[in-house]
Amino acid sequence: MREAIHVEKPYFLASLREWLFTTDHKKIGILYFTVSYVFFLVAGLFGMGVRLEQAQPGMQVVSYDTYNYFLTGHGVVMLLWWAIAAHIGGFGNFLLPLMIGARDLAFPRLNALSWWMFFGASVLVLLTLIPGNQIKMMWTGYPPFSSNPDAGVTALYVFVIHLLGASSIATAVNFIVTYLKMRAPGVTFWKTNMYVHTLIAANVIQLIGVPSLAGAVTMLLLDTYFGTNFFNPAKGGDPLLYQNVFWFYSHPVVYVQVLPIFGFFSEIVPVFARRPLFGYHTMVFAVWGIVALSFIVWIHHMFVSGVPNWIRVLMSYTTLLIAVPTGIKIFNWMLTLYKGAIQLRSQMLYMLGGIFMFLIGGLTGIPNAMVAIDLGISDSLFVVGHFHYVLGMAVTLGILGAIIHWFPLATGKFYPENLGKISFWVIFAGANIFYFFQMVVGMLGNPRRYPDYPPIPEWAALHMIQTIGALILGVGIIIFTWGMIKGLISGEKAPQNPWKSPSLEWRLPVPAPAHNFGDEPPKIEKDWHPYRFDKLEEGNK
Amino acid sequence: MAHADVKHHHHEEVSKWPFFIGVGGLLTTIAFTAFFAWGWKFIGLILFGVSLISILFGITGWANEHFEKDREYGLGALGTFLFILTEVVIFGTMFAAFWTARVTHAYEWANWVPEGVSISMAALLTLILWTSSYTIWKAEEVLENEGDTGKTIKWVFFTFSLGVLFVILHVSEWIHLWKEGFTLSVNMYGTGFYALTGLHTSHVLVGLIAHLYCIWLLATGKMNQYRPTVLRGVSAYWHFVDFMWLLVALTAYVLGTMAI
Repeated sequence: MREAIHVEKPYFLASLREWLFTTDHKKIGILYFTVSYVFFLVAGLFGMGVRLEQAQPGMQVVSYDTYNYFLTGHGVVMLLWWAIAAHIGGFGNFLLPLMIGARDLAFPRLNALSWWMFFGASVLVLLTLIPGNQIKMMWTGYPPFSSNPDAGVTALYVFVIHLLGASSIATAVNFIVTYLKMRAPGVTFWKTNMYVHTLIAANVIQLIGVPSLAGAVTMLLLDTYFGTNFFNPAKGGDPLLYQNVFWFYSHPVVYVQVLPIFGFFSEIVPVFARRPLFGYHTMVFAVWGIVALSFIVWIHHMFVSGVPNWIRVLMSYTTLLIAVPTGIKIFNWMLTLYKGAIQLRSQMLYMLGGIFMFLIGGLTGIPNAMVAIDLGISDSLFVVGHFHYVLGMAVTLGILGAIIHWFPLATGKFYPENLGKISFWVIFAGANIFYFFQMVVGMLGNPRRYPDYPPIPEWAALHMIQTIGALILGVGIIIFTWGMIKGLISGEKAPQNPWKSPSLEWRLPVPAPAHNFGDEPPKIEKDWHPYRFDKLEEGNK
Repeated sequence: MAHADVKHHHHEEVSKWPFFIGVGGLLTTIAFTAFFAWGWKFIGLILFGVSLISILFGITGWANEHFEKDREYGLGALGTFLFILTEVVIFGTMFAAFWTARVTHAYEWANWVPEGVSISMAALLTLILWTSSYTIWKAEEVLENEGDTGKTIKWVFFTFSLGVLFVILHVSEWIHLWKEGFTLSVNMYGTGFYALTGLHTSHVLVGLIAHLYCIWLLATGKMNQYRPTVLRGVSAYWHFVDFMWLLVALTAYVLGTMAI
C-alpha cells in the first residue's frame, strides 16, 4: 500500500564542503543539535560546580565570582541552547519538512544564515571563558547590577542575545512560511502532527516575543555604553521597565521551550500505546490557548517588584488559567494510554517520565501563581526546584526520548535499548532526589542565587542529599551520551518505519535520503491521519 | 492544500554566502566589545571594517546566487510580512520606554522640553515620507502592470531621493538640538526622543540600501515583471517604515512637547 521510494544515498554521506556550507534542513538540524548537546554537557558541568559548592555551608570549591559565572552560564546556556536550540534548531529543522512532506524549508539559504548566527552566539559564549570576560549578571541581566563592571562584560551578554535573537526570528519566519505554504496536498490543518502544531505555535511566540527581549537588552547596552537613561531613575528612567520588557518575552519563552516537548509526548505516546492521540482537536486548541495566554501573565515574575495590586491580581488569575489547557493535555495523554497496548520501550519510558515531571512541576507552579503564597516563596530555592521539574527535567527527558525515537531516521541505526532504559531510571531517580529536596529547603527559607547559607543542620543535610541526587543525575547523562556514541558506531541496523508509525517522516527509508521524498510530494491517501494506527495494522496482516 | 508547485533539481544544496554574513555579524559584535568594553579602539575599528566587507560580500553573492539558481515561488511576501510583525514589537519596546517615562514624570516633563523641537518640522518630514510611500507604490504598480523596467527605476529613484532628503533634514535637526544641550543623556525625554527617531532612521537607512539594491536588480534585468517579489517586499517594508514614522512623530514630537 506504500508507493515505492527510489533508493538514494543517505543525507549524511556528503563532502566536508557540503556539510560546512549546507542549506539542507537535515544537515543544519544535525549541526544545531551537535553544538547544543555539547553546550548542554558544559552547562551541566557549570551546574555541577554550583551544586558542589552548596553541598556544605561555607565556601569550599569555588570563589564568589566563579560561582556567579557558573550560575549565569548554566542559566543562559541551558535555557537558550539546550531548551530552545537543541529541539527547535535541531529537531525542528530535521522533522518539520519531513512531517509535512516538503522538500526543504521555504528559505533554505536563510536557514543557513540562522545557523551561522547561532554559531556566532556560541563563539561569544566561548569568549566568556577567557579570564576577565566572565558574565556574572545571571541569565536575567537585571539592571542596575548588569551595567556594573562587577557583573562582567555587559556587551557580551547583550550580543549573545542579539545574535541568538536574529537567528531565532529568521528561523521563526522560515518555519511559519514553510508550514503555511509547503505542506504536501492532503496534509490539512487537522491532519498535522501535534509536534508540527506545537513547533509552529512556539515559533509564533518567538516571532512576537524575541524582539521584546532584543529591545530590553539594547536599552541595557545603550545605558551602559552611551549614557542613556532608560533605567536611570535620577533622570526619569525606570529599572522596572527592563523587567517588564524582559519578561514580556522571557515568560512566553518557557512555552517555546516546553510546547515542542509536548509535541514529542504527543507523537511518541500514541505510537507505544497503539492508540490514536486522545482529544486531538482539544490538544490543538490547548496549544493555541497557551500561546494566547502566554503573553498576559509575565507580571508573575515580578510579584515582589512593587507593581500595583490590581495588576498582580489580574496576572495571578491569567496565570492560573494556564492550568486549564495544560490540564487538558495531561488528561489527553493519560486517556491515550487507557486501554492501549502499551509497550515500555525506552523512549516511552522517557515520555512517561517527562509527563510525570511536568505534572509535579505544574502542580508546584500553582502556589507560585498565587500572590499571597508567592510573596513568601519568591526568590527561594523552591522556585528553582519547581522550574527544574518543568524546564529542567520535562524538557530534558522529552529531548532524550526524542533522540532515541528518531535516532533510526537520522542515523539508520537503533539507539541501544538497554542503555536507554538504564539511563532513564538513573536520570529519573537522580533528578527527583535532587529537585524534590531543593523545593523542601526552599520552603524552609533558603534563598536562591546565594553561594553560601548558614550552617543549619537540616539545611546542610538537605543540600547534601541534593548533591548526591545531582551526581546520580550526572551519571545518567553520561550513560545516555555513551549510548548515543555506541549507537552511532555499532548500533543495530534499523528497518524502515521501525516503530510502525503512520506519521509521514517514517515513509522515508532510514536513514533519510538526501532529497527527502524526491521531486514529487508524497501521495497522501484520503483517510490518512498521523495518528491512525488501524490501517497500518491491517496492512501488516 | 497550499503547496508550491515546484520541480526540484538535484544539485548540491550548498551556499557559502550565509557564512560570510554570519561571520560578519559575529565580527560586528566583537568589534563593538573590543572598542567599548576592552578599550582596544584601533582593533575595534579594523574589525568593524572587516565585518562590513564580509557582510556586503555575503549579501551581494547571495543576491547573485538567488537570481541565478532559484525559482520564484512567491513566498517572500509572506516572509516579509512576518518580519514586519517582529519589527513592530521592536518599536513597541522603545514606545513602552517613552510612554512610561511620559506618564510617570508628567509633572517635571515640561522642564525637559527644549526650544528646538518643532512640530512643523515633524509635519514636513511626514509629508516627505508619505509622498515616498506613494512613489514606491507607483513603482510596484508600473512593474507589475506595465512591465516597464525603465519607468520603474525612475519611481524607485524618486522614492530613494525622498528618503535621502528625509535623512538629511532629520540629521541636521538632531545636530541642532544636540548643540542646544538636548542630548541622549540629558534626561528621559532626550533618551526617548533619540531612541525612537534613531531606531526609525536606522530603518530608513536600511530601506534606502534596499532601494539602491532594487535599482541595481532592475537595471541588470535580474528583476522584472515576472520576478517582482523583491520589490514587493521592499515596498511593504517601506510602507511599514512610513507608517511607523507617524507613531514615532506623534510620540516624540506631539506627546513629547504637549503641556501636561
